[in-house]
Amino acid sequence: MLHKVKSMDVQNTQSQMRKGVLEFCILSIIQKGEVYPSDIVAQMKVANLHILEGTLYPLLTRLKNAGLLNYRWVESVSGPPRKYFVLTEEGKKAYEALLKTWNDMAGAVQLLTQNK
Amino acid sequence: MNKVININFQGRILPIEEHAYELLKEYIASLQVYFANEEGKDEIINDIECRVAELCEERLKKGEVCINESSINLIIASIGRPADFEAEDGFEQNSSSASNIPSNNKRLYRDEQNKILGGVCSGVANYFGLDPVLVRVLWIFLLGVNVLGYFILWIAVPSSSVKEVGGLRKRLFRDTENKILGGVCAGISKYFGINVGIVRLLFLIPFIRLIFHFRNIHSFQFWESPDFPNFIDFTFSPGALFVYIVLWLVLPEAKTSADKLEMVGEKVDLNSIKNTIQNDMAGFSKRAKAWGSGLYKNSKAERQSNKSDNNDKKVEHGPLHFIGKLIVILIKIFVYFIIGVVGFSVLIALFGIGVATTSVLPLKGFILEDGMQSFAAYGTILFFIWVPLIAIVTAIIRKIAGYKKSNKWIRTSFVSLWILGWVCLFYLISSLGNSFSKHNEPKEENISLANPKVNLLEVTDLTNGKYYESQSFQISPFDKYGNEDTLYVRNLRIRIVQSKTDSFQVTVVKLSNGKSSKEANELASRINFKILQVDSLLYLDKGIAIYKNNKFRNQYVIMTISVPIGKSIKINDHGGNNINVNFDSWNESWDKASFPYEKNKVYKMDTKGLVPI
Repeated sequence: MLHKVKSMDVQNTQSQMRKGVLEFCILSIIQKGEVYPSDIVAQMKVANLHILEGTLYPLLTRLKNAGLLNYRWVESVSGPPRKYFVLTEEGKKAYEALLKTWNDMAGAVQLLTQNK
Repeated sequence: MNKVININFQGRILPIEEHAYELLKEYIASLQVYFANEEGKDEIINDIECRVAELCEERLKKGEVCINESSINLIIASIGRPADFEAEDGFEQNSSSASNIPSNNKRLYRDEQNKILGGVCSGVANYFGLDPVLVRVLWIFLLGVNVLGYFILWIAVPSSSVKEVGGLRKRLFRDTENKILGGVCAGISKYFGINVGIVRLLFLIPFIRLIFHFRNIHSFQFWESPDFPNFIDFTFSPGALFVYIVLWLVLPEAKTSADKLEMVGEKVDLNSIKNTIQNDMAGFSKRAKAWGSGLYKNSKAERQSNKSDNNDKKVEHGPLHFIGKLIVILIKIFVYFIIGVVGFSVLIALFGIGVATTSVLPLKGFILEDGMQSFAAYGTILFFIWVPLIAIVTAIIRKIAGYKKSNKWIRTSFVSLWILGWVCLFYLISSLGNSFSKHNEPKEENISLANPKVNLLEVTDLTNGKYYESQSFQISPFDKYGNEDTLYVRNLRIRIVQSKTDSFQVTVVKLSNGKSSKEANELASRINFKILQVDSLLYLDKGIAIYKNNKFRNQYVIMTISVPIGKSIKINDHGGNNINVNFDSWNESWDKASFPYEKNKVYKMDTKGLVPI
């Protein structure tokens, strides 16, 4: 029983870490240029970070509603226009802030784990 | 073989197999439930739908003829089901995701695949790695205590289909779309997936028991004050009404489509979704109308006052609003309760009339002429009394069972039969009235007495007590004694007058009605009312004999007993069965004043009249 509780905690922490990083990753992909959601999934897959489109859409909507993202309808060759996402000015600022935090954190973590 | 349909999905025309289409609808419904509380829900779902449509089109471009079940499953899997979202990163619904993260952790689910009732037994069996049959047998052995436990587990334990379709948790709602009162029964029936009628019946059982509580249908016990508390006691003791009211106040109303899906739980089939969407559309148009009229009012109000109008409205939705709602509910309950009580009593009264008139039917031969009159009598009883009774009972049952539309044909036939009943009734009344319309010419007959000089004359029945004891059921003016051919009518009136001679004298006047004076005279002459004196006892016949060939036309006998001055008279009464014998005693001089004559008491004739001794 005790073992079970411990493993649950680990999984919980893992999911928390993932959750925190996910938005940052998405912002960093969009920051590179206008992008279509399925491309985000593909790019993340290349980086070995798996995300379902079903979880991506709510995240994008949430970021958009927070004013970090904006989208544009782009005519596609076939079928109806598609939504392409870009960063807003606010989003860029948020990205910068997150990047700084990440670099600090990554450095700290690197340092601490190596020193072990 | 699969049917392929074309759908217009997010601006794309897609040929899709019917089964795959159902899967797609299920999937979108599960998303709707999952994102129900998410801000921008519609946008998210719209985006996902767009993506699904796009992926479908890609597949078609690759050469697939249509979207089949496996390809839709692949597409859905690539986007992810709600259950996958939770497992993947739990970006929302933190509390529930925490419990869901250990996916390999054993959890108790109700097994939807192997269920008999709610799948509790097979779920328990899965959990402990046992054979479901074993668990079921054990459950039956422990029958009694565990019924409640079963229902608790049914409610508390999630269904196994939660894992497959996505976070569709069942919740108890009030289903206000199928409501009679508050939609509590409908909501419960949705929750358990059983017929509304069963739940309503369970709530009605205390009321139904109330009906059976009436031992004597003809006397309305609850209108009499001593029995009224008993009546209330009976209704409230099982607490059905109380439970209903509590549930009404406690349960939320299923408003959104997500609520409605949650109410039904995992049973997300094509029909339920279709219904939900259709109902939503209907509800939306209503809301739009309400909004429109509200807007109109607002704009009107705004001309007079300023923007504070908006704030006022919010205040109104506070406790005052709640109290108002509560009062409305209470009034509604009260009104329905009264309607219910009145309805039941009317129904019981109708039933009583039906039984009474039907039980009179054997007497028909003594009253009615053959032919039309008899047919009219049958028609009246059948169509005028029983048809509406049956119609009302059917309507109530249909209402309870939740049939919305009443059958047009049934209704028309009921109404037309009832009209026929009215026709029969009017014919019967007018025809019978005609049969009773004329009187005979009364003739006085002297009855010779064997011994007119006795000091005390006792008037008594010929059939001294013999027939009287076990007779409790009477329909006035008929007495049940008699047989198939003969009926005795006790239309007898006794007058007591002062005799001018020194001996008792008895005269009899026979009266009858009839279609014509001739018939009335004939019937009056046929009255055979025996009067016999033995010593001081004057025996009277048990009634006027009516035969089937000389019908009852209100034959009547007025007997006048002249009592000499100084002599006494007594009228014996055996056990109160002489109800139709009217004692009317007067002297010429006290013609107008009625005289309180008591039976079983000796009276003496004075010069001024009768004096009790």
